[in-house]
Amino acid sequence: MSLRTQLSQEREIIGSLQPAIHTPQNWNYEVPSPLYRAYMHPPHDVGGQFDVPVHYEEKEEEQWELNTYVTCEVLAWRGIWSAEERRRRADNDLGYTMYLGIPYYGRWIWSAAKMLVDKNHISLAELMDKVVEVKSRYETK
Amino acid sequence: MNKAQKYSTDGAEHNHKAAPMVEEITDFEVLEIAVRELAIEHGLFTAEDHRRFTEFAESVGPAGGSRLVAKIWTDPAFKARAMEDPVKACLEIGIDWSKPTGFGTPSDYTHLTILEDTPTLHHVVCCTLCSCYPRPLLGMSPEWYRTTNYRRRLVRWPRQILAEFGLILPPEVEVRVEDSNQKCRFIVLPVRPSGTENWTEEQLAEIVTRDCMIGVALPQPGRTADVHPVHKARRPVHSSHHEEAAR
Amino acid sequence: MKQSKTMEKSQNNIGVLEEHPLGMQPRFKVGDRVQVRDMPYFFYTRSQMWARGVVGTIAALTYSDLVPEDEAFNVDGRVEQYYIVRFRQKDLWPEYPFDNDTVQTESPERWLEPARNSE
Repeated sequence: MSLRTQLSQEREIIGSLQPAIHTPQNWNYEVPSPLYRAYMHPPHDVGGQFDVPVHYEEKEEEQWELNTYVTCEVLAWRGIWSAEERRRRADNDLGYTMYLGIPYYGRWIWSAAKMLVDKNHISLAELMDKVVEVKSRYETK
Repeated sequence: MNKAQKYSTDGAEHNHKAAPMVEEITDFEVLEIAVRELAIEHGLFTAEDHRRFTEFAESVGPAGGSRLVAKIWTDPAFKARAMEDPVKACLEIGIDWSKPTGFGTPSDYTHLTILEDTPTLHHVVCCTLCSCYPRPLLGMSPEWYRTTNYRRRLVRWPRQILAEFGLILPPEVEVRVEDSNQKCRFIVLPVRPSGTENWTEEQLAEIVTRDCMIGVALPQPGRTADVHPVHKARRPVHSSHHEEAAR
Repeated sequence: MKQSKTMEKSQNNIGVLEEHPLGMQPRFKVGDRVQVRDMPYFFYTRSQMWARGVVGTIAALTYSDLVPEDEAFNVDGRVEQYYIVRFRQKDLWPEYPFDNDTVQTESPERWLEPARNSE
């Protein structure tokens, strides 16, 4: 797929991601208190919300998932962050859409990357360069 | 078709390749490599740190918890010690909560609490806020335990979830949900089932499965495995221990 | 970066309550009736919506440690007593049909106040 085609598909997906309450005049001047609380509510506090019965399954762990878990724990072991900060970032800071949308360990590694940039351990430019470089190692020629 | 499949970029263009397809590297795999390499390059931790912690992660599994429960069931003096100081008692069955850092894992802490079931009290554990789990004793948490689905429902409809796991308890039994939201880590000490009189600790440990120690199953003679469908990984962790733990 | 007090205590084997912002002793004891405060949602919490405003009973004192809202942002210093608080399911959910069922969770002291009604 060409890059332009890929961007076109991305735009379509992003356009279909909506706040939970969609109205055509989609800019709010005021927000009633219950709605304010709902917006402010941390995404990860889900206990008691409605959900349906599903088939619970086990999942074989991916190598990258084990590596992610270890990276996050070792960053805490070496004092770069605490597990509590990890939870705050991975369960909360990334926002409701990503919270529900990306895999469990995807949130962990995303939050580790964000933390490293936020705390100036690495620069965002460096992270981008590194991701481009890693991707290029695996590109089929 | 799940959401991932709907938005896959694998289109017709790929189908004409003759050779067997190597699975493309995923975005998260790339990010994981990038973060780990950058962290090591910047001296935030060493590759050796990563290896050591990986070794620890691969060494933990539910067997520790099974041994703890079996010993509590057979040894009243050990039970008294375990209920008084669970972390210290774990040392007697070979589980050291201070490993591998010397002060515990960053996520699991050192506040193990044993929830003792009785014939009229049944405990079941969740973490509604994230997925806190007693890893040193039970290994890595099962996928379903981490889902928003389980975490939404267990604290409000516990008997429904237990029923979905095949466990139906009479109304007189108090079902007590433990929402593990801070630094305590919990395991359920089930009631020792009848039909196990004169069993050895090893025999008892065999029927104390991970699901029994979370509280979604009861131990029974002959029940030696938690059976759930398994979603296979694209690039699973390659280690004989992991294959063992997954069974 | 400062480790949580829990990790330090594990290293030193000290079980002593350090600074206590609300006094030198834990405010509550096992059996006390307490109510979970409903403080505003800002950025992060480990005090669940499902427990707020409900009266429960102190089931256990666990340990003293940093408040999660501080620890999550690397704020060091304030250490509080933590408690396991037990609630009746029927007090949480109007539709809950089983009388005996309970749910319990852990809370740092600042999130609890003495129950206003006597029940």
